[in-house]
Amino acid sequence: MNHRLLGVAFVLCSTLLEAIGQLSLKSSATASDGSRRKFTWFAAGVGCLALEAVVWSCVLRLLEVSIAFPMSSLTFVVVTLLSALYLRERVNRQRWLGVGLILGGTAMVGLG
Amino acid sequence: MKAIHKVPLGVCIGLAFAIILDTAVQLCWKVAVSRVPDTDGVLEMVASLVRQPLFWGVIVMFLTQLANWIKVLGRADLSYAQPITSLSYISVCILSAFFLHEVVSWQQYAGIILILAGVWFISRGEHQTVGGTVE
Repeated sequence: MNHRLLGVAFVLCSTLLEAIGQLSLKSSATASDGSRRKFTWFAAGVGCLALEAVVWSCVLRLLEVSIAFPMSSLTFVVVTLLSALYLRERVNRQRWLGVGLILGGTAMVGLG
Repeated sequence: MKAIHKVPLGVCIGLAFAIILDTAVQLCWKVAVSRVPDTDGVLEMVASLVRQPLFWGVIVMFLTQLANWIKVLGRADLSYAQPITSLSYISVCILSAFFLHEVVSWQQYAGIILILAGVWFISRGEHQTVGGTVE
């Protein structure tokens, strides 16, 4: 299989893991200190990030870091969306515009 | 300047620290993984990886990042803090060109400018829109 294509598939996989991990860590950070909820979310977040680390190791062997790293910016779209939906953060037009520009920029860095 | 004053200094420092650690992790990880010889066995590859001091350096940086990040998230929106860490894309791109001799094209530099613009838009807004830390 094409190395580049396989690398991209791994990038998508790690993007999803990162988004779920970040949401878990945020949930942990805002839970009250010492609560069980705080620990559970923390463990879930770290678990996702650890799994992501394994997937990312595969990515780095397949792609150049200057290409692979920017591609993971898809995470910003997923995280922003989930932050609005699940954490009820007010994502205004300015934030979306920022995410859009970052996505466009990283696409250019990735494809350049 | 007004926007910068609105954001607590602790959040700014936390974000800056996160970007620096992110960059260091990416570059060290790339070097560590590249040093692993191509073999069929996954176990052999893992064994070769854990023998590298650089790998353990990456682990330590990861743990530091985790502690720092939890602190940042306690005081800022996820949809605010996370996109700002995209500044590390810029430092990784430039440093990988410099240290790893990867070629950076003019399109990539144009992309870097777009990323900067995006971060600027996000950083101008509120850093926290929901309750924050529940003590």
